[in-house]
Amino acid sequence: MLLKCDKTIPERKKHIVIKGENGCGGDSSGCEIACNVPTTPGDMTERGCTYAGCRGVVGGPVKDVIQMTHGPIGCAYYSWGYRPHLADSDFHMKYIFVSDIDESNIIFGGEKKLLQSIIEASKEFPEAKGVFVYNTCPTALIGDDGKYIAKAAQEKIGKPVVFFPCEGFRGVSQSQGHHVGNMTIFDTLVGSVEPEEDYAYSINIVGDYNIKNDEKTFEHLFEDMGVNIITRFTGNVSIDDLKIMHKAQLNVVHCQRSATYIADMMREKYNTPSINVTLWGISNMSNALRDVAKFFGLEKEAERIINTETAKIKPKIEYYKKRLEGKTVFIYQGAPRAWHWPDLMRELGMEVVVAATTFGHEDDYDKIFKKVKKGTLVIDNPNAMELEEIIETYKPDLFISGNKEKYLAYKLGTSFVNGHTYETGPYAGYSGMVNFARDIDRAINTPVWEMLREKAWPVKNNSNPEVV
Amino acid sequence: MRQVAFYGKGGIGKSTTQQNTAASLARIGKRIMVVGCDPKADCTRLLLNGRRQPTVLDTLREEGPENVSLTKVLADGYGGVKCVESGGPEPGVGCGGRGVITSIQTLENLGAYTDDLDYVFYDVLGDVVCGGFAMPIREGYAEEIYIVVSGEYMAMYAANNISKGIKKFAARGHARLAGIVCNSRQVENEKELVDEFARRLNTKMIYFIPRSKDVQKAEINKKTVIDYDPNMPQAQEYLNLAKIIEENKDFRVPTPITIDELEDLMKEFGIVD
Repeated sequence: MLLKCDKTIPERKKHIVIKGENGCGGDSSGCEIACNVPTTPGDMTERGCTYAGCRGVVGGPVKDVIQMTHGPIGCAYYSWGYRPHLADSDFHMKYIFVSDIDESNIIFGGEKKLLQSIIEASKEFPEAKGVFVYNTCPTALIGDDGKYIAKAAQEKIGKPVVFFPCEGFRGVSQSQGHHVGNMTIFDTLVGSVEPEEDYAYSINIVGDYNIKNDEKTFEHLFEDMGVNIITRFTGNVSIDDLKIMHKAQLNVVHCQRSATYIADMMREKYNTPSINVTLWGISNMSNALRDVAKFFGLEKEAERIINTETAKIKPKIEYYKKRLEGKTVFIYQGAPRAWHWPDLMRELGMEVVVAATTFGHEDDYDKIFKKVKKGTLVIDNPNAMELEEIIETYKPDLFISGNKEKYLAYKLGTSFVNGHTYETGPYAGYSGMVNFARDIDRAINTPVWEMLREKAWPVKNNSNPEVV
Repeated sequence: MRQVAFYGKGGIGKSTTQQNTAASLARIGKRIMVVGCDPKADCTRLLLNGRRQPTVLDTLREEGPENVSLTKVLADGYGGVKCVESGGPEPGVGCGGRGVITSIQTLENLGAYTDDLDYVFYDVLGDVVCGGFAMPIREGYAEEIYIVVSGEYMAMYAANNISKGIKKFAARGHARLAGIVCNSRQVENEKELVDEFARRLNTKMIYFIPRSKDVQKAEINKKTVIDYDPNMPQAQEYLNLAKIIEENKDFRVPTPITIDELEDLMKEFGIVD
């Protein structure tokens, strides 16, 4: 369908589909949406770049390496600290490193400065276990051989130096950066050491970035069950753990956009099986435990944990459900959360009416169409004007998105919860579900909306302009 | 698989030498892929008898990265030589160097470097002007570099400059100078001069190709000499060169000389009064 604001860019029509209309069946058959394609000129897209996807999402959470940007200084600051991928480390996220490429480096080459920066940084921070180097647009264009410099630096400092060819201009969105991050870590680190220990009953959690300590909500559940987590790819992870992730018996894949690549490569090279899970929501979390338990023959343990945990949160969830019953939700996330969360919303008595992603691929949208009910608007890569029109038309009770959309929602008088970085997280697992429900309740049932209805809206609705 | 790069001053006959050598190697049963790394996309014209296949970068631009395939960009030329042109921007716009990087990476991703190949030839424009045009001699690519030169000052000046680039990359990995090919311009004392020049660069003049009208005749007919008429004397010259390259194992780190030294060399051989 075509939104009113898209009159001048009719190409956007292919990116907006209502489930149950125009060939998109109510059973989600035949639901096709244009996605993961270049941005239409005129569309003020909110997409990020390949560097952002690699540095910000996949590489950045690794907690004990020097995170070095090879490029101009602005590329470093504006990719630092905006994503709360927390870790149990004093070093992590505290510092920012950049080769600080300037005009003369662009003309004469930036390789020497990069080498010098790596050596200096590693001297200054001997506690760092390695260096991740992220390439930017200008250093890629002038042909700096970052891969070689990383190799040379590695010999000099005696620690792994990993070069990510994640120059921003590659790809159509930050999604390409996830791919580069996965491939580089797989090629340079995974399997680079062969420990002798026994790795029976061990898994990797793949595609969880420990946003606001999400991992603390579910790690102990897997461990209680008798399963050992070797590597978290890449939330709260040490570079040492990435080297041995091939020892796991099973990859448990959470983010099925940014991290399926490494699970696929490991299946091919090491025959590591993988299962897809959702670690948000009560039934999803329970199913994740069940699926992992089934793989290891630990079904009894899983049921015991599920019963205890669900009983613990049941009264709280029931309390919030009463307060949220019947509310409608617009979810706009990077990609997978738009399909991870509709079940969770139903567990709180709410229904998704609009679902959107910034960089989803076909498989993400297939899952979205399966999860949402008939009549739901699905939109790929929405821009601010589209978001505004959708909010005004669909009037969702809640908008779940990121910081960029927060004030747009408030200005339109719509409740808002930050789904990217959370309000007061974590939101994963059973305990996180209570936090999520509480934040949604706070957002929707805050008295401010009542005050607005009494004071601001009568003014807005007054037909006499003088009163305004 | 031997990966070989040809460098040399623009207009020196680099692409002609490269294609005639490739054709001769094909003639003696070698399997070769030629990767043209010049934005002008003129490195495989003779092997393809003037046919123009779409370049890697044009295909990327026009059809999108997901639609680039080897069947579109790789064409079989004389003697089964696989020909591919990187292509690149029009003069004065864009960044040809990045084009070379993108193009070679694309070929790699598409699986163009098959095990059955005996040689991959990279034909690179004039000089190593930026990091991009050094891509073929980065680690993992060409380990063997030939510089095409004549007895003219500017040609040797460029060759010396290219040697500086090779020296830098040699320190990093396996790229080596494998020899100087003199494409004669019938300059006085040319053979002796280039021979000595090569010696100063710590390499050899592996072959002296005499000037011959055969080359132009074949070129006008969009053919390599051996393709146009294998009985022409010049066809034998390129066959000789191909055999020398086939047997060559003398790969060295070059020792570029100073401009003063180069000028003195010219004087010594009586070119400059």
